Amino acid sequence: MKTLWQNNPCATMAKTISYRNANALKQPFTKGLLFLGTLLSVYMLTLQPVMAHGEKNLEPYVRMRTVQWYDVQWSKQKFNVNDEISVTGKFHVAEDWPISVPKPDAAFLNISTPGPVLIRTERYLNGKPYMNSVALQPGGDYDFKVVLKGRLPGRYHIHPFFNLKDAGQVMGPGAWLDIAGDASDFTNNVQTINGELVDMENFGLGNGIFWHSFWALLGTAWLLWWVRRPLFIERYRMLQAGLEDELVTPLDRNIGKAIVIGVPVLVFMFYTMTVNKYPKAIPLQASLDQILPLSAQVNAGVVDVETVRTEYRVPKRSMTVSLKIKNGSDKPIQIGEFATGGVRFLNQAVSVPDQNNAESVIAKEGLILDNPAPIQPGEQRTVLMTASDALWESEKLDGLINDADSRIGGLIFFFDSEGERTISSITSAVIPKFD
Amino acid sequence: MSAKLSKPTFKPYTGEKARITRAYDYLILVLALFLFIGSFHLHFALTVGDWDFWVDWKDRQWWPLVTPLIGITFPAAVQAVLWSNFRLPLGATLCVACLSIGTWIARVFAYHYWNYFPINMVMPSTLLPSALVLDGILMLSNSLTVTAIFGGSAFALLFYPANWPIFGMFHLPVEAGNSQLTLADMFGFQYIRTGMPEYLRIIERGTLRTYGQIATPLSAFCSALLCTLMYTLWWHIGKWFATTRYLKRI
Repeated sequence: MKTLWQNNPCATMAKTISYRNANALKQPFTKGLLFLGTLLSVYMLTLQPVMAHGEKNLEPYVRMRTVQWYDVQWSKQKFNVNDEISVTGKFHVAEDWPISVPKPDAAFLNISTPGPVLIRTERYLNGKPYMNSVALQPGGDYDFKVVLKGRLPGRYHIHPFFNLKDAGQVMGPGAWLDIAGDASDFTNNVQTINGELVDMENFGLGNGIFWHSFWALLGTAWLLWWVRRPLFIERYRMLQAGLEDELVTPLDRNIGKAIVIGVPVLVFMFYTMTVNKYPKAIPLQASLDQILPLSAQVNAGVVDVETVRTEYRVPKRSMTVSLKIKNGSDKPIQIGEFATGGVRFLNQAVSVPDQNNAESVIAKEGLILDNPAPIQPGEQRTVLMTASDALWESEKLDGLINDADSRIGGLIFFFDSEGERTISSITSAVIPKFD
Repeated sequence: MSAKLSKPTFKPYTGEKARITRAYDYLILVLALFLFIGSFHLHFALTVGDWDFWVDWKDRQWWPLVTPLIGITFPAAVQAVLWSNFRLPLGATLCVACLSIGTWIARVFAYHYWNYFPINMVMPSTLLPSALVLDGILMLSNSLTVTAIFGGSAFALLFYPANWPIFGMFHLPVEAGNSQLTLADMFGFQYIRTGMPEYLRIIERGTLRTYGQIATPLSAFCSALLCTLMYTLWWHIGKWFATTRYLKRI
């Protein structure tokens, strides 16, 4: 047969043709592989770490009209493993809370980290420690403090932020933190109410591995008991031949009985032992903390601001707000800053003391007034305030015109001649201008 | 191979045939191992999810209700195949062992080495005692009905007590921030999870608290009842998807 096939010219031709075809196919295939390899190499060489936390992802009206952050400060930005640092700051909960966002009945002050590179050891709202989620009140003012402890060395971009239930994450200003030292030096001991000191990094791990191993051993023994015999084909044949009784022997049945009785007995024995060992165990805790807002910090009644009209000029990337301002203080005041959605527009004509060492996104010359003269005590004036910068676009705040809820919100910071600050919140519908 | 072989005519394979059938056994076992590690683990992660991922989600109401209910699915389906066709009472144990391997791999490599969580915070629960009993009841009863009622119930009822020796110690009380927490809650507070605010935890919620502080037995019995139904459903899914068509051609 073999000789016949070899001597058959048709067979030889077929072989030659297929060889040529194979060569012809091989070339484009190799080229394709090379092309894909080059693409992959270029992709790999240009890979960069991700630095964002989705802070621009949330709709502009949510970022501008929910949690309005200011004065965010980090106690240290370079520290070692086991060192504690804190981030403090303030926020105003917008009165004009978007209708499509559920009210902040459950909000969680969180820290954006790439995993637990730091641990959170303490957290305060209005000076009160709290551990759970909290209900915020629209129009309320709060200050916060979060104490963090370095765990893993590295350079990380960290933000404080609020998880708002059913709404998303509203980011506060971020900062780069450098943690030096050795990860293996990290310690985290917590004392139970009974006085036992617990190493959180390892607590219960050995015990857990023991119990998993114990049951895994029994399970493996049961599997091996069956796997040691012929399995699928032989057992299928025997079953079809009516030899069912030989597939499960009396010894198998006895072992089965031992399992059905013995395993529950063991389970309840070990359970009882554990209950006796930890009689003070309590259920997981799941309460909502109740913390009232501070006395008014924003809209405290000294300066009244009413927003008359707001226009956004798309080509110029500028927001012009017409404001009716009444100065109820005894000193002349000037607008020094307008902050919205994490962006700060500063009035260069006013000296703004910086109370914020986080990396706020700042337009240093972004705020212009039609009448820069200070507003005198008792004076009421209508001011055209224009906040212009490409940041409207780069921070994706100009996406407001595509939202169903096209309203802006933000904080205006007034300063008197002595640098004292008064804060007012504003809110208004936005009229787009496309010319 | 004929399905009409009768007892007197049955002769076990010997020699090369026996060796090949044994090799086939191992081939199927290895494939099954990887298949169930991947598929059951994925199924479990997508459905039980956070209740099994985090120590501060393992509460006394939802955890013992949800975990066995989802955990009995693959075991029931695989038992249907292995018992009906081969009289092999190891389907549940095999599935759950694969699940354990998958979850431990994920917790160590994905959660600990990749995302830096301490392993004790993300330790998986075990369903092995439940699976062993389920296999035992199926073998002794040779009945879908009996296994669904008694095996399904045992599967759920054994879950919480079997895991308490692992997780009970995480329920020791701690005072922090002027409030009482468990050590498990402290893990949730301290080890920052950006995408996991505290309010997302579905623990201690719902009308299971009707019976006050004895929510766990209520949850376990509720789960037991549901497991009997879930077992039957997935048994039939297993039967529906499985075939011995290829074996008949050997």
